[in-house]
Amino acid sequence: MRLRNSATISRLLRRNLSKVQLAGFILSNFIGLAIVISGIQFYADIRPIWSADDSFINQDYIIVNKQVTASHMLGSARTGFTEAETASLEAQPWLRRLGRFSSADYEVKAYMNQGGRGMSTNMFLEAIPDGFIDVDPSSWSFEPGQNEVPVIISKDYLTLYNFGFASSSGLPQLTEGMLSSIPLQLRLSSRDGSKEVSLQARITGFSGRLNTILVPQEFMEWSNALLGENEASEPQRLILDVSSPGDVAITRYLDEHGLERAGEDKGSQAAYFLKLVSGVVIAIGALITFLSFFILLLSVALLMQKNRSKLHTLIMLGYDLQAVGRPYERITLWAALASYALAVVAMLIFRNIYISGLRSLSGQNEVGVAVSLLCGAGLVALSILVNFLSIRRKVKSSFYV
Amino acid sequence: MEIKEIVIREALPSVFRGEPHHKSDVWLTELRLQKGGRYIISAESGTGKSSLCAYIYGSRRDYEGKIFFGTTDIATLRIAQWQEIRRSNLAYLPQDLGLFPELTAMENIVLKNDLTGHLAPERIEELLGRLGIAARRDFPVGRMSIGQQQRVGIIRAIAQPFDFILLDEPVSHLDEQNNRIVASIIEEEAARQGAAIISTSVGNHLLLSDAETLYL
Repeated sequence: MRLRNSATISRLLRRNLSKVQLAGFILSNFIGLAIVISGIQFYADIRPIWSADDSFINQDYIIVNKQVTASHMLGSARTGFTEAETASLEAQPWLRRLGRFSSADYEVKAYMNQGGRGMSTNMFLEAIPDGFIDVDPSSWSFEPGQNEVPVIISKDYLTLYNFGFASSSGLPQLTEGMLSSIPLQLRLSSRDGSKEVSLQARITGFSGRLNTILVPQEFMEWSNALLGENEASEPQRLILDVSSPGDVAITRYLDEHGLERAGEDKGSQAAYFLKLVSGVVIAIGALITFLSFFILLLSVALLMQKNRSKLHTLIMLGYDLQAVGRPYERITLWAALASYALAVVAMLIFRNIYISGLRSLSGQNEVGVAVSLLCGAGLVALSILVNFLSIRRKVKSSFYV
Repeated sequence: MEIKEIVIREALPSVFRGEPHHKSDVWLTELRLQKGGRYIISAESGTGKSSLCAYIYGSRRDYEGKIFFGTTDIATLRIAQWQEIRRSNLAYLPQDLGLFPELTAMENIVLKNDLTGHLAPERIEELLGRLGIAARRDFPVGRMSIGQQQRVGIIRAIAQPFDFILLDEPVSHLDEQNNRIVASIIEEEAARQGAAIISTSVGNHLLLSDAETLYL
């Protein structure tokens, strides 16, 4: 009985439903949603490739050094920072914190053994205050007597090895994971050759923004005291914690004082550009989505206006307002879900086109589709909610003549 | 909520305010309509007869004064309470009938009866027969005469339990014979439930056997 009744009500209240308007909504909402979720998905998929995200170094940190000019080569100028220079930097309003790079005052040789083949190279070591490095303190520490020291090396060195050295000398290429597991032997010796220390290095991670080999500050102090000539040297580089890395005041200051900012490469510019373009595309998609929901809102409101006397009559018969609004809620719900489903299909097809090319670039670290689907679902849910509220208000307004 | 009495106190349609008015049994006085009573409200057109029905049924609020169901001011009722009253306590046949022209006679009746489950299917068939519209059972209401539509509306109006039934010119398009049939059916239903009948008319009164006539 009940079922037949609700079918009768639906039949009554859907009269005057414009199929063209509904199709217009589904189409435009589909386009909008497809752009939004494809944009989000594309951005999520491509981000790991471009991203200069560095888990060790906060994005708000910049590393500066003096530009090397001809006068440096002639020895008439120094590349170290004097106390006066660091004091001037510390006085800048955009600076939160400043850290000095300290470097090893002795010779370093690294030995690597891989499958019976040995390799050795001269190296250098640097340290910055621990507060600037975001790693688990337990894995980034050193105590005198410890036989192993953690290091963070530049990603560029791995690239250099893989695509420069290894390919030309027939050695296997290495991934980050493999390299971390290979034991690295360090031999440290004082400049006069009188003292020598051997110990193991463990690669804790790779950094895209630090062009150096980094060791804990405690290790640096200990080894310099042991092997160095105890000359207090000026820091060659500084790490700065700034309020906003994009601030033009910073760029102006660095230019005026002949300083260079490290770690600024094409990748980060491309990442910025990508972020901008994705943002614009997603915003346009979101705009289309909202406009299309507005179409739905208006066409349902129009339909309800056309059927107002029927709504009123049903309410006069004693039907609950929810029961009277339900057919319209159902139209809204199905239309929204249909366009969402279509948009998901479109996104998956689009993703299928580019994903194989992307996989060969990024390797194993794949991002799922959950985020974009959730964002799309969130948009749809929000719009459905707004439509439902509008329908309820309209039904309520039909209570009185 | 059972309605034992409808009290209309110092009420007047807002549009009549300030106009000189003649003596009325309803407006600007206190009228008490008791459950179980039989009332004919006789009126000339334009005196607010349909307005009165709409006020009592809660679909219009453009009046001054107060209307009570028992001791409850109906202006304080919430929508959900109105809907419950409309299903269980107050039946109404509006002057424009409020039928859906695209639905058949049966569908129109069932639309109400499904909500209340009040009339058995055989009883509906019986009523259609007594009112002489059994043959029009599956006809769209829009293609029936006004008199036939009125009879469909009457069956629909009694397809619910009620304490009061409000009928706005229920027999304006019916002959005397059909008027008597309608009156007897409504009296039967009202008597069975101990309910009151309030019927308005501008001339063709519902032929109730024993009714108090009020002049609007």
